[in-house]
Amino acid sequence: MATIAYQTASCLYEGAANPAVDRLTLEVDDGEFIVLVGPSGSGKSTALRMLAGLEDIDEGNITINGKDMVGVPSKDRDIAMVFQNYALYPSMTVAENMGFALKMRGVPAGERRRQVEQAAELLDLSDFLDRKPAKLSGGQRQRVAMGRAIVREPQVFCMDEPLSNLDAKLRVQTRTQIAALQRRLGTTTVYVTHDQVEAMTMGDRVAVLKDGKLQQFAAPTELYDAPVNAFVAGFIGSPAMNLVPALVTSEGVQLGESTLPLERDRLAALHRQELSSVTVGLRPEQLEVVPAGQGIDVRIDLVEELGSESYVHAHLVDDRGGASTRLVARSHRRAPGRLGETIGLRHGAGSVHVFHPDTGARIDGEEMSARVGTGV
Amino acid sequence: MTKHSTLSRAEGWRRRAPLLPALLFTILVTQVPFLLTVYYSTHSWNLVRPGSWEFVGLQNYLYVFRDSQFREVAMNTVILIVGTVLISALLGLGLALLLNRSFRGRGVVRTLLITPFLITPVAGALLWKTAMFDPVFGIVNFVLQPFGVGNFAWVSQFPLATVMVDLIWRWTPFMMLLILAGLQSMPEDVLEAGRVDGAGPIALFRELTLPHLRRFIELGVVLGAIYLVNTFGAIYMMTSGGPGVESANLPFYIYQRAFLGFEVGQAAAMGVVTVAATIVIAMLALRLIFKSFMGAQEAA
Amino acid sequence: MTDPALSGDTTSATVRDTPVAGSAAQSRSSADETRPRQRARRKHRGAAVIWAVLAWLAALVFFFPVLWMVLTAFKYERAAYTDPPTLWFSPTLEQFQAVLASGVGTTLLNSAFATLVSTTCVLVLGIPAAFALSLRPVKKTKDVLFFFLSTKMLPIVAVIVPLYVIVNRIGLLDNIWTLIILYTGMNLPIAIWMMRSFFLEVPAELLEAASMDGASLWTAVRRVILPLVSPGIAATALICVIFSWNEFFFAVNLTAVRAQTAPVSLVGFITGEGLFWARLSAASTLAALPVVIAGWVAQNKLVRGLSFGAIK
Repeated sequence: MATIAYQTASCLYEGAANPAVDRLTLEVDDGEFIVLVGPSGSGKSTALRMLAGLEDIDEGNITINGKDMVGVPSKDRDIAMVFQNYALYPSMTVAENMGFALKMRGVPAGERRRQVEQAAELLDLSDFLDRKPAKLSGGQRQRVAMGRAIVREPQVFCMDEPLSNLDAKLRVQTRTQIAALQRRLGTTTVYVTHDQVEAMTMGDRVAVLKDGKLQQFAAPTELYDAPVNAFVAGFIGSPAMNLVPALVTSEGVQLGESTLPLERDRLAALHRQELSSVTVGLRPEQLEVVPAGQGIDVRIDLVEELGSESYVHAHLVDDRGGASTRLVARSHRRAPGRLGETIGLRHGAGSVHVFHPDTGARIDGEEMSARVGTGV
Repeated sequence: MTKHSTLSRAEGWRRRAPLLPALLFTILVTQVPFLLTVYYSTHSWNLVRPGSWEFVGLQNYLYVFRDSQFREVAMNTVILIVGTVLISALLGLGLALLLNRSFRGRGVVRTLLITPFLITPVAGALLWKTAMFDPVFGIVNFVLQPFGVGNFAWVSQFPLATVMVDLIWRWTPFMMLLILAGLQSMPEDVLEAGRVDGAGPIALFRELTLPHLRRFIELGVVLGAIYLVNTFGAIYMMTSGGPGVESANLPFYIYQRAFLGFEVGQAAAMGVVTVAATIVIAMLALRLIFKSFMGAQEAA
Repeated sequence: MTDPALSGDTTSATVRDTPVAGSAAQSRSSADETRPRQRARRKHRGAAVIWAVLAWLAALVFFFPVLWMVLTAFKYERAAYTDPPTLWFSPTLEQFQAVLASGVGTTLLNSAFATLVSTTCVLVLGIPAAFALSLRPVKKTKDVLFFFLSTKMLPIVAVIVPLYVIVNRIGLLDNIWTLIILYTGMNLPIAIWMMRSFFLEVPAELLEAASMDGASLWTAVRRVILPLVSPGIAATALICVIFSWNEFFFAVNLTAVRAQTAPVSLVGFITGEGLFWARLSAASTLAALPVVIAGWVAQNKLVRGLSFGAIK
């Protein structure tokens, strides 16, 4: 049971121009499941390893339950970690692997065995306790790694892409198991992934990182509904949000021949910043497929049929910026159009996201910005 | 069916063709002489006595086992191999641990450390016999002077031990390289997992590093033993096996019998006995090498 | 070595302190915070320095005899025999000249010839064999591999007697080709095992891809496989060079004058009445130099050769 706080914590690698983690500030509540997500090189793993004591905290600090962790070695932090490649001890059996931390803490063998068996039962590993890791399947190894973490009842779980070595089906299954297990144990958890679906489905709150810097730290739905910048907007959601350049007009923003209207206060904000063009963000489900001429006219490049729905990949027909503006729309109909056909896309539910064309920062009206402005 | 099998026979030969020259050559150079050794060992034959060729059955072997010098030499061989292998494995482990961290000039240090293994064995042996162990002008006595060691004659007082010093000097780098390869193949995340699980440096070494190194140390020990069975130059140069046979090993003793005593039959019998004696470690070595090669195949 | 790192540390410390330098209370608390960090760092660094010094010391102890040999080779004899040993002296090439004049040059050439020719033979025989035991394996690959390896387990002394008899009978005693044949046989198993481990690293699909692209097996091997394993071939060759050059047992028993190799030439220095250390050192240096260089070049692959490819 623990609270965690990163306070402008940085990690600098020798010889690197930019910090791997740059003044990260995060507060994690007791029992919370938070996810660090970002593309490779975003510093998410480094941030986790700083918490685990595997990387130096070069500047700032990290506290667990208010206790400063600078200079505290891993072994004294009471943290359990699940590694990407599981890092099981190859020379030890499953039981020995799971009991190792207890052994290091001087727990007597009988008590160790009891706790290991308990955890093994929870994870369906009872039949494998005497096997070596080499003789286990990928999913079983993953569970042993989990078991090794939970057996010692640590203050904090650190998980570094623990699902990335499983096949797609097992990954989905294990995802829910881990989330359920964490709810049941109530242990504060920091989870690193590059997969935004994992981030969205597992985390109580999600921290999006890029180039070592925190972009946004919020609940999954808030990340989805009100991304603070174009990066978060494009990173969260699949297929990704359409981010297209558009001209600012007196009523809204112009895409192709048609204009998407904006609320008055957002227009005011645009004019206050003297912007003539912006980046407009529209999620695929915000675009409806309509007959040509009834919306933004686009030509179909590709239709992806998923059975329950389909995705239309298309480009603007009348595009002053060349043929490079591409849009993806979700359709509930099958075969919404043929390759090369011109159709219309109409803005449906939900408001348009508007981002600064250079900085990528979200542009909101007065009352909106008051709501999401706390993100950064 | 017939067509298939003829095809595959042709294919079989096509695949075998690149292998055959090497196979035939190796059989010719190693197996034929060994069979001759076995054959000679059943004959009494002295090279300098013409017409001494005579079948004597197992008499040479009887002679060998009754020969107290042979027993002493066999014992020397065991001491030499076991002592050298164990000490150089221990030293090699220490050096490998030192080299398994990054510091300025690590490449140079490694290069310097492997040099003794590369130096021509007879040159190395001469070096130890003269410049290092000489009673009056040797470096060893010079270094030990402050400890009250005078002009001590190491080579004549402890012939076997001084040979061993040369061999340990030569074989420690070998062990170091093998163990270092082991250390460097140690997965970093396993050590990190150990640290997170609360293990200190000593526990990490004992519980994780050492079990991982076991295979490498075992391989170093058996391979070292196999190579050390053939030790010859060092003894030839440093002590000539003397005084008496106090520092002779089997190869040197057999050499003396064959080329100084010209007793071909007896020398051959001793050779056969040597092979029989080394079969145990040879099998161990073969198994270990095969195991790691099978392991590599499983992984691939 | 610590200087740049230390100065780097101080600059980062100042950077860290600047933002909170506003109020006295704050800056004091920040100083308190940084102290354990710096202490941890310093302990880190201090330990690292001690380990590095130890490693360097060990290296110097092990290398010292070699260094001493090379130094002595540049001394006059009177400087070689001194108590205490002479470290500073005026160097001379006299010993090298004397050694070369005494015929060591011929033995060096013999060694070079035996080494190079036998290594070539090993590669010519060994590379195809390794190929047949890896990428396009024959039946009973394991048995054949086992056989090759087991020949290396056979103590050399077990074959010397008949070899001597045979070589003597066919008049090849004191002939460099005798050594070439024996060295080829001695190194062939190592080369086959080592080359095999390199071949196994080549994806077998490459051969299939090449044949789908219309290449014959020979072309595929020559154009696709061999370039990939060429570093392995070089390493294998260097290992063979080391073993053949340093070989002593066969050489001392089967050669006399004409085919004498460099290691055997050193024997002459222990049989003379007086020992000439400086001259001996010069001869040893010359005899050892080629393999030392070969070994330094091949050091990353040394383990692989010595362990028959079992350890990468």
